[in-house]
Formats: sequence, structure tokens, C-alpha cells
Amino acid sequence: MNLGSYVALSAALFLIGVFGALTRRNIIGILMAIELMFNAANINLAAFNRYLHPGGIIGQTLALFIISIAAAEVVVGLSLVLAIYRNTDTVYVEDYNLLKG
Amino acid sequence: MSNLHLLSPELALGGMALGLMVADLFVAAKHGRLLYHLGWLVSILALVMVGYTISNSAAGQGVGSLWAVDPMSQFFKMLILLTTVLCLLMGLEYKDLPPAHAGTFVCLLLFSAVGMMLLVSSVDLLLTFVALELISLTSFILAGFERRNHKSNEGSVKYFLFGAFSSAIMAYGISLFYGATGTTRLVGVGHDGGPMFLLGLLMILLGFCFKASIAPMHFWVPDAYEGAPTPVTAFLSLAPKIATLGAMVRLFTVLLPASAFNLTTLFVVLAAATMTVGNFTAFFQNNVKRLLAYSSIAQAGYILIGIASGNTIGTEGVLLYSFVYVAMNIGAFAVAQSVASRSDGAGAYDLEAFNGLARRSFGLALAMAFFLLSLSGIPPLAGFIGKFYIFSAAVQSGHMGLAVIAVINSVVSVYYYMRVVYHMFFKPAADETPLAVGPFLYGGLAIAMAGILAFGVYPEPLVASVQASAQYLP
Repeated sequence: MNLGSYVALSAALFLIGVFGALTRRNIIGILMAIELMFNAANINLAAFNRYLHPGGIIGQTLALFIISIAAAEVVVGLSLVLAIYRNTDTVYVEDYNLLKG
Repeated sequence: MSNLHLLSPELALGGMALGLMVADLFVAAKHGRLLYHLGWLVSILALVMVGYTISNSAAGQGVGSLWAVDPMSQFFKMLILLTTVLCLLMGLEYKDLPPAHAGTFVCLLLFSAVGMMLLVSSVDLLLTFVALELISLTSFILAGFERRNHKSNEGSVKYFLFGAFSSAIMAYGISLFYGATGTTRLVGVGHDGGPMFLLGLLMILLGFCFKASIAPMHFWVPDAYEGAPTPVTAFLSLAPKIATLGAMVRLFTVLLPASAFNLTTLFVVLAAATMTVGNFTAFFQNNVKRLLAYSSIAQAGYILIGIASGNTIGTEGVLLYSFVYVAMNIGAFAVAQSVASRSDGAGAYDLEAFNGLARRSFGLALAMAFFLLSLSGIPPLAGFIGKFYIFSAAVQSGHMGLAVIAVINSVVSVYYYMRVVYHMFFKPAADETPLAVGPFLYGGLAIAMAGILAFGVYPEPLVASVQASAQYLP
């Protein structure tokens, strides 16, 4: 395993995440896609830390921060989804059309 | 760790916010207003603490490992705290917020303010990311705070999806930046200007664009603003935007100047696109909240001109315009809130609700007219001073085309601002009973009004303080 394969993996994950976030119509699906994007960043950080900058631990530290922030983000997101589901009985974004965007 | 005391305003505000959250458990719902009063008193306390560090610069300023406390950051912190105080005053008079959760509301607002104060001080991408997320997470909840209101739900979910998406992009950008430079600290970066570095920088810029509602990332703005409770809308349209633009000034004109990577053209294009999109879409809005939302996109475009110019006068322009923008925008939202407070449910924020406001409450109509004239940049008001400063920065840095686009945009904006004035003064009202405006809303309006009138007629003290504040440490 070298740096190239890690970066390729993370780029692939990131692009899958972007594609999913833009095309999914179920909110839970979009949330999962966004998690993929966050985790792509984490793989990048760990790989760069190991191969390019092995002297420090900044990359790993940052990855830990991103993991916990992503978790907090999902908590807030799911509670918002719960609130809107109680009012509308749907998790499909195309049904949220009260506000004309 | 040794100079952690530099962050004492943030630490105090955060501690008090936690205290208010706990106090929420012990205060009965009918005394919920008490917590709002505590909230704005605490913000004023933090404001005084920040003011003290400005007056006592030797002891109160310095650089930590992740942050820099300097005149520029202190200026933005004071603006953010001022906005927080004014929004809490608005919240006192807003009847749709659940009184049982007053403590949570105030706590989230204060935490958001803490995030912004950290953001404008940050000189490290780690702190920048954490601060941005602190702002985002609290504002998602605040935007959806009217839990039973379908519009509020919908606005907050759209806001959340856009927000999480753009912060994931920003996280990836930070990882690329780290890969290229081996550090997240932004002071003295040995940049290589290679493709990975530039891609990372652009992705980080995208995350900033989302928070400051700059053109390609502005789609959430009208929906989130329309759905959110009005005091929150006023807060979201001011504080995060100013804080993000403040962080962008630090990042793209001081630490990693845009001109060093040939990104100046990109900023010029972003500024021009943001102004144009905001102003030309605001044309077709019949809901005052949406109109003000698009107008706030356009205002972000004007402020971005200062960053695109990249010179000292541009930086001063960003600070000056931010100050003026706080006063005029919060005033406009406060009037809109008091007009809507009379009618229930649908159409409360329609343009028709403003019909004949001059006959019902002449003072409010006159105040709204002044705020809108100031937003469009008509002379003796403060908005003109701000625009003049920003546009002359563009001219001085040689971006004549950008200055011309900006002037055309301000002319266009007069039309839709004046539509509201036309409805207030020349249309008959459906019912002519005067509006009841609470004392705290009057207080907020008076502060905003004093700001735009005093600094419009006599701008010298403001200009002097802005020039003193455009100093930075690292």
C-alpha cells in the first residue's frame, strides 16, 4: 500500500458522497452520503500524516476532531428530520415545497 | 496555554450560556422572559470585556497557538455582540417562540456568538473548522426553533442539508491543504501553489461562501430566512455573515493573499455574481422576509468587493460596511417583525401587510423608509458612506469594471426597496389601528436608527475607529 492508493480511495469515496448528496431524494440517504464525504477527508488526513508528514500528529488530531463534529452534525440533522417528519409524514425532499426556492 | 486569558470574553460568554441552559430547568415558563434579559445583559458584559482589551491593548492582545487577538478581531467581536444584543431584544417581543424553551434559545444564540468570536480570531484551520461548525450547528437548530411551524421545519432542513454538504467539502479541502503544506496553521505557510494546495484552498473558500451566502452557495438563504423566526432571521442575516467575511479578510488578504495565487479574478467574479443575483432576484419578491433575504445576499456581494480589492482601504471598507450593515438590516427586520405581529398565519410578511403603514404608525413607516434608503445607499444615511468606501477601494485597486457593476447594482436595488416604501406611504390600509410596539423593540430600533443617522451625517469617528481597527497581528 502506498500513498497513491489511499488518496485514490478517499477521492472515490468523496465523489460517491457528492454524487449521492446531489441525487438522493431521501434525507437519510443524503445524510449517509455526507458522512462518506467527511470520512473521505479523514482517510486523507491519516494517509498524509503517515506518508508525507510523519513527524507530527496534526493530521490524526484533525481527523479526530472531524469525526466528533460529524457525529454532532448527524445528531442535529436527525433531530431536524424527526421534527419535520412529525409535521409532514415524509422524508423525501421533493415533498418539502412549502417555501418556493 | 499561557495566554488563554486573551480569550476571556469568549470563555465568559460560553460559561454563561451553559449557565442559562441549566437555569432553564429552574425557571418557570411564565418567567421565560427573565432569561432573555439575562442573555442580553451577559452579551453586554462580554462587549465591555472586549472593549476593555481594545483600550488596554498591551495586556489584552497577542497571538496564541490557534488564534490572534488584535484590533481587527476585536472590532468584529464587538459587532457580533452588538448584533446578539439587538436580536435578543427583538426576541423579547416575538410571540411565536415557545416560552418553555427560552433558556435553550438564548443559550444557542450565545454559543453561536462564541463560535463567531472564535472564527474572526482564528489563525489555524482547525479552529476555523470547529468555529464554523459551532456556528452552523447552533443556527440549524435556531432556524427550526418553531417546532410546530411547518415552514420553520422546512427552512431548517434545507439549511442543514446545504450546510452539512458544504462543511464536508470544506473538511476535504482542509485535508488537501494539510497534505500540501504539512500544517493547518495559517501563519507563515510555506505554500507551493501546486494543484493540490489550490484545490484545497478553493474547497475551503466554498465553505466560507456558504456561510457568507456568496453566489454559488446562496440557494439556502431565502428558504431558511423565510422559515426561521424573525429574530433568528435577523441574526442569521448579520452575525454569521459578518464573522465569515471577517475570517475571509484575515485569510485571503492577510495570511494567504488572494493575489499571491492569482485568485483576485475569482473574487471579483464572485462579488459581481453575488450582487447581481441578489439584486435581480429581489425584484420579483412579494414577501418582505424573502426580499430582505435576497437583499442580504446582495449586501454580502458589496462587502466582498473590499476583499477582492485586497488593499488597505478595502479592508477598512469591509469593517465599515459591516458596521453600517448591522444597523440598517436589523432595523428593517425589526419593523417587519412588528408589522407581522398584528396578523396571524399566512401573509403576515407579504408586501400587502405594509399597506398604509404610514397612516397606522407614522414613526415605524418613517424608520423603515430610512433603513431601506440606507440599504440602497442614498446619501445622507450611513449606507452611502459604506458603499462609497467600498467602491472607492475597488477603483483604487484598478477594478473599474467591478466598481461600475456595483454602481449599476445599487441603482437597480433602489427599485425594490422603494416598492416597500410605496406600499407603506401610498396604498390605503385595510385596517388603520396603530401598531403596538413593545419597549424593547423600540429600544433596538432607536439604537439602529441612531447608528445610521449619526454616522451618515458625521462619519469621522466611525472612519477613525475603522482605520485604527484595520490592524492585525500575525
